[in-house]
Amino acid sequence: MAAAIAGVFQPEMQNLIKESKVLLVGAGGIGCEVLKNLVLTGFSELEIIDLDTIEVSNLNRQFLFSKESVGKAKSHVAKTSVLKFNPNVNITSHLGDIMDTKYGVAFFNKFKLVINALDNKKARSHVNRMCLSCDIPLIESGTMGYSGQVEFIKKGVSLCYECLPKSEPKSYPMCTIRNTPKEPIHCIVWAKFLFGQLFGESDEDVSVDQAIYDSTEKVSARHWAEIVEYDPKKLLKKIFYDDIKYLLSMESMYTGKKVKPILLESSFFDAEDVEYHHVPDSEVLTLEQCKSLFLDCITSIKQKLDICENRSLVWDKDDDDFMNFVVASSNIRSAIFNIPLKSHFDIKSLAGNIIPAIATANAIIAGQIVIHALRILSGKYVRCQSVFLRELPNHKGQILVKDKYLQKPNPKCMVCSTDGEIVLSIDINKITVKQFEDLILKKKLNMVAPDVLVDGRMIISSDEDDELDLYEKTLAEAGVNQGSRFSVDDYFQNYSIKIMLQHKEKAQEEDPDFEIFGNLEELNTAEKNNVAEPEENDEDCLIEKDESSVERVDDDLSISDEQVHDTVTNIKQEDDSDIEDIVDIDPEVIKVDQEISNEEILAMKRKADEENEDINEAKKSRVD
Amino acid sequence: MASEMTNNGNGEMSKEERKVYDRQIRLWGYDGQNKLRGMKVLLIGLQGLGAEIAKNLILSGVNSITLKDHTEVSILDCCSQFLIPRDSQERNRAKASMSAAQKLNPNVKVIVDTTPIEQNVDSFVTSFDIVIATECSPTTYKRLSELCRKAKVKLFIADVYGLFGYFFQDVNFKHNLYGEVFLDNDKINTDSLPAKKPLPYFLTSALLKFQSESNRKPNPDTSEEDVEELKSIVNPTLDELNISNNTFDEYYGELFCELSPTTSIIGAMVSQTAIKNAMDKPIDTYNVFFYDHVEHVGQFHLL
Repeated sequence: MAAAIAGVFQPEMQNLIKESKVLLVGAGGIGCEVLKNLVLTGFSELEIIDLDTIEVSNLNRQFLFSKESVGKAKSHVAKTSVLKFNPNVNITSHLGDIMDTKYGVAFFNKFKLVINALDNKKARSHVNRMCLSCDIPLIESGTMGYSGQVEFIKKGVSLCYECLPKSEPKSYPMCTIRNTPKEPIHCIVWAKFLFGQLFGESDEDVSVDQAIYDSTEKVSARHWAEIVEYDPKKLLKKIFYDDIKYLLSMESMYTGKKVKPILLESSFFDAEDVEYHHVPDSEVLTLEQCKSLFLDCITSIKQKLDICENRSLVWDKDDDDFMNFVVASSNIRSAIFNIPLKSHFDIKSLAGNIIPAIATANAIIAGQIVIHALRILSGKYVRCQSVFLRELPNHKGQILVKDKYLQKPNPKCMVCSTDGEIVLSIDINKITVKQFEDLILKKKLNMVAPDVLVDGRMIISSDEDDELDLYEKTLAEAGVNQGSRFSVDDYFQNYSIKIMLQHKEKAQEEDPDFEIFGNLEELNTAEKNNVAEPEENDEDCLIEKDESSVERVDDDLSISDEQVHDTVTNIKQEDDSDIEDIVDIDPEVIKVDQEISNEEILAMKRKADEENEDINEAKKSRVD
Repeated sequence: MASEMTNNGNGEMSKEERKVYDRQIRLWGYDGQNKLRGMKVLLIGLQGLGAEIAKNLILSGVNSITLKDHTEVSILDCCSQFLIPRDSQERNRAKASMSAAQKLNPNVKVIVDTTPIEQNVDSFVTSFDIVIATECSPTTYKRLSELCRKAKVKLFIADVYGLFGYFFQDVNFKHNLYGEVFLDNDKINTDSLPAKKPLPYFLTSALLKFQSESNRKPNPDTSEEDVEELKSIVNPTLDELNISNNTFDEYYGELFCELSPTTSIIGAMVSQTAIKNAMDKPIDTYNVFFYDHVEHVGQFHLL
């Protein structure tokens, strides 16, 4: 450990390194590298937390783990591994969720610095709030493929993680998924829904996505499958013949639409099984092979269902049978709708929302994190601008690029500015208090244990002893009116926000259940725009891509695509003094959006390049 | 010394390999992975930077890597050498790193070589696709650059000084040789190359000159004298270029040992650039890279 050797660092720095207690959140790709760097640099008071266990697909980069440690807790194994090269360090490892209430203010207050090496927006937002509330400096990080970034967050000094809007997860029109798929992804999303219907939870979930789903149909699909005892051939026939025939029987369904399913020949259903095991996962199976794969995996999944205690399975891309189910079902459906079939490899990328990850990008980001840590400890905050790792060098040859200045907090931020108020547009006669808490406060606003007062009256309490009994009531029944003001407090996160309510009747089933705006003006503008451009019926019944599809802690948290968008928004909002950074944005990162074709990427890249050139020109003339 | 469990290069990728490499195959494809599986690497110098490069390349699944080092483990290795267990009885750096290196990926042939590169014949480098050298003398770097150019073997030369680091590459055999970039004249040459040089170049040249004269890198034990020595080397050049003598003041305090944050960055940058080479996507319009730890910038140059 460098700080143990005199002369390596200046004495003041040496002491700061030895004495500062640091919390590392996440022991994945970035986490392993950061832990190594911290320990070697001489940090000797460390705590590390991760809720995950080690998987084989981690081993190409999470170098503190080996084949023998698959299945074990990441945080504990990471600790054991680093102690081999430095036994003189005090590490506490936690197997747990950082959002658990036992890691509250008292826990966070122990630390001089917190480092995020996470892979999801929810946990990042939460740690952001905890650090703002305890006024502890936070280093936020992410990688995706060749790219990555390091950001410094400090209350009142820099942007916080939530200062700029985050883009929503990709969503698809439900009617497209159900009736008029046009692309492979539509069939893949459908296949995952089908899995949930046949083998998953029946009616536990109250999320919007589920509410949109016709619940009677859903129950009956499961029920039907139970009746025929999951007979693979009967399921095949029902799903890929009877149901399609039913769709076609609805006259208005496909009139005037380009998409129309074609019934498969009955010979397809009667044909002998064919061999498919020899086909590499990068090649596309034939339709007949997909059928055999479907029949085989139904049998295996049925066995898993039978030994499952609550007779309910959760889809997981790493379960080969579950994955095969999605490959087979989505491809057969694609054939019916005249959509090109995809390989197992490609379908897994799309269905599992897999973000590519390599050791080198993580190591570079982890190195920069510790350099930032050293600067932060010595109080040089203004020097801790965001640093971006690019896939390729920019026009100046820079591949590791920093923002020109540390960006100031957004005064309108609903998290780190004190007078945050947002406007919620919702149908108060449709949404229950419970849905309001789950969908808006917890899911959308990332709270953990909210208390809610409406015009001075409590309607939601985080204290279980308070028996308010309002959960099943609609907001209107609970006394909420147009223009009501909610005061929402999360004492655990030490976070509060005011919400102004705008009642908006839900005209059609497909309308969004709620919308959130920064202020009334934004809401009015949005409504005007809606009137100006009436969207095709097909497009406005959006569902969120289901949560389980988003890769959990498995991938080093990377900049998920939401964060890449962040970066882009980030850049757009800068004034022209930061023009250089606009030039530095790497159009390559758009690659992550699996839906975009190569041609489109190229077009976007060209456009971005052109813009960059324009900016360069502009800059030159300005300097002149 | 090669491990017997290795699979690389022996035909088709196994299902197990596909699973381990899944997240990177989704980035560079099966083609890219297969090219890596054929790549034979010579890595000279197993201190902190060497350990990082070994880790990254072994994880990525190259065919083989020869860990070459004739020197003994030192107390300073604990600043960044994570492949050597603290309770290791083995004195040689390469031997002491072998076990942890092999454990990173049993598919890769990890070979130990304890002969000093200076004692190898010129044709030694030709049995490798890529040579990566760290912690050698500037004279050895010069010779390696000439040898590899002649043999058309791709070469990387990298070093870390405290939190500062750089690497040189010769991958398309077109740009200047190492000895043409970093001259060992009496003073750092400022006028033989007309293009304006980046500041880190002068710091690097001074460090190399220090090494040539003292036969060692700057050392934490003698930090004060070493910094004075460095200043006396670099200041005349700065004067000549009308650059303030205070330019590197912030750098001088952090130039000792190979420190982990920067071995992590330079090690990964070298590895990633080498990997891109194996996939025929080299970054070859440049030949030198500097990581400036004060400015937080990593930049390629053609020098």
